[in-house]
Amino acid sequence: MESVSSPQGVADSVAPPLGGPQTRQHPHRLQGVLFQPIGDEGRAELVERRLVDAITRGHLRAGERLPSEAELARSLGVAPVTVREALLAIRERGLVVTRRGRNGGSFVAQHADPVSFAREAVRTSSRVALRDLGAHYAAITGAGVRLAARRADASEAEQVRRRMERLDELDGESQRRLLDDIQIELVALSQSARLTREQMKLQAEFSPYLRLVAHTSEEHRRQGAHLAAVVDAIGAADADAAGTRTDTMVAEIIDALIRLQAQPRNG
Amino acid sequence: MPEPAPAHPEDTMTTATDTATRGAATIVEEYFSSTIRSLLGWVGPFAAQVGEAKRAGPLTSARIDALVEPYALRTLDLQEAPVYGAGFIAAIDLPSDARSHLAWWQGDDRRQLVLAAQSLNKENIDYSALEWYRLPMSTGEPHIAGPYVDYLCSDEYTITVAAPAEADGMRIGVAGLDMLVSEVERDLLPRFAALGREVTLVNSIGRVVVSTDPRCATGDAVRSGPWADLPRSPCAGLALDVIVEPDATRP
Repeated sequence: MESVSSPQGVADSVAPPLGGPQTRQHPHRLQGVLFQPIGDEGRAELVERRLVDAITRGHLRAGERLPSEAELARSLGVAPVTVREALLAIRERGLVVTRRGRNGGSFVAQHADPVSFAREAVRTSSRVALRDLGAHYAAITGAGVRLAARRADASEAEQVRRRMERLDELDGESQRRLLDDIQIELVALSQSARLTREQMKLQAEFSPYLRLVAHTSEEHRRQGAHLAAVVDAIGAADADAAGTRTDTMVAEIIDALIRLQAQPRNG
Repeated sequence: MPEPAPAHPEDTMTTATDTATRGAATIVEEYFSSTIRSLLGWVGPFAAQVGEAKRAGPLTSARIDALVEPYALRTLDLQEAPVYGAGFIAAIDLPSDARSHLAWWQGDDRRQLVLAAQSLNKENIDYSALEWYRLPMSTGEPHIAGPYVDYLCSDEYTITVAAPAEADGMRIGVAGLDMLVSEVERDLLPRFAALGREVTLVNSIGRVVVSTDPRCATGDAVRSGPWADLPRSPCAGLALDVIVEPDATRP
């Protein structure tokens, strides 16, 4: 079995420094997916996977303090003992460190960040797996934006466009989050709850790769320009243009990932 | 009620269409006004309690939750309409310990919604641009928002009814309730069907909420459907219109 989203040894990889303190103003749909209630059964492994995903996908960042066991238990809808068990496993994997004392608690390890995770995932994945991820993402996202173009009102596209205007004011990390949110909002305009839920899951999986490809502000803006064109197409009720532009965007990203993979590693 | 005999057959059809249209609008008005009444029944007293709490000390998110909970649970029990979620969304900067706050209970288990963004990173949820918050806060009037895919609370195709809360002359947030469109469909379709005409309910931007017409899909823009050119009849006090098929020639 092969998966592009679960490379081995991510905790050992070298991490580039993260950006400074972030301003946080947007709701982050992706976190919503990762932290939906799980249920009553003691499912430490599921909790562990959600927390690992939250770290590797950048929703909990290096150095950030995790919520208390009680808070996590409440959020995930499981018993505190289940959370404790999961945290122990994550600590053993080196993704979380625990500090004692008055300002103690569990913190995300400095080397655990989405870009190094994605870099490692790309390195260990096959080309066919990367292309398949692109095919899946383009299929869902393309279907979503095509339906959105047929169903959305021009005023709704305008609301999204207005949110995008703030892109240039934001730092890199917040730009990524805004672009992820905008993509989900566009698919939500399809009026399909299923497609939207599927998009949220896929966006969470795809987001680290989008980050990896767009490591500079200019490249973020390039992805932003693609999305802006999709917004315009939806506002103009042009389903073909919305779908075609989405296909182009995904093809560019997958090509860039495969080029990255083909490059010899330089540390 | 006996009606005067029409001079021409066309008049009969017009009268029957008018009757069906009036009937459809009444069904919609009674159904949705029950939800607005439910919110208006508690938003005033609740806002007064918030005002008192604010004067007495810091108004924390937890304090807001405690004040909202009994009203939210009562709203979930509404008999006239299926309520999936209910609660209060604080105006930006109302809580003393957060920039924004949702106090929301939903689902069969009536659990309080804990948003990951709030509980994990203590992030601020910016709902100020969302229709169900923006409109009541700017107009001061209750509003029916959607249908829309609600990826914040229900994760389903949803209609949100919201009413502004005011304390000491300030808008402090909105009281709201969610209805799942699937449940609204289950309630309204048989009532519309009894009118003997195809009935389509659309919102203010012309989106189909429910329709008895198999050709007319919920979520579609009415602009692209079979009834694009038919007159829309407004439902009193609601930003919703009904469209009724003009003749009964189709089964």
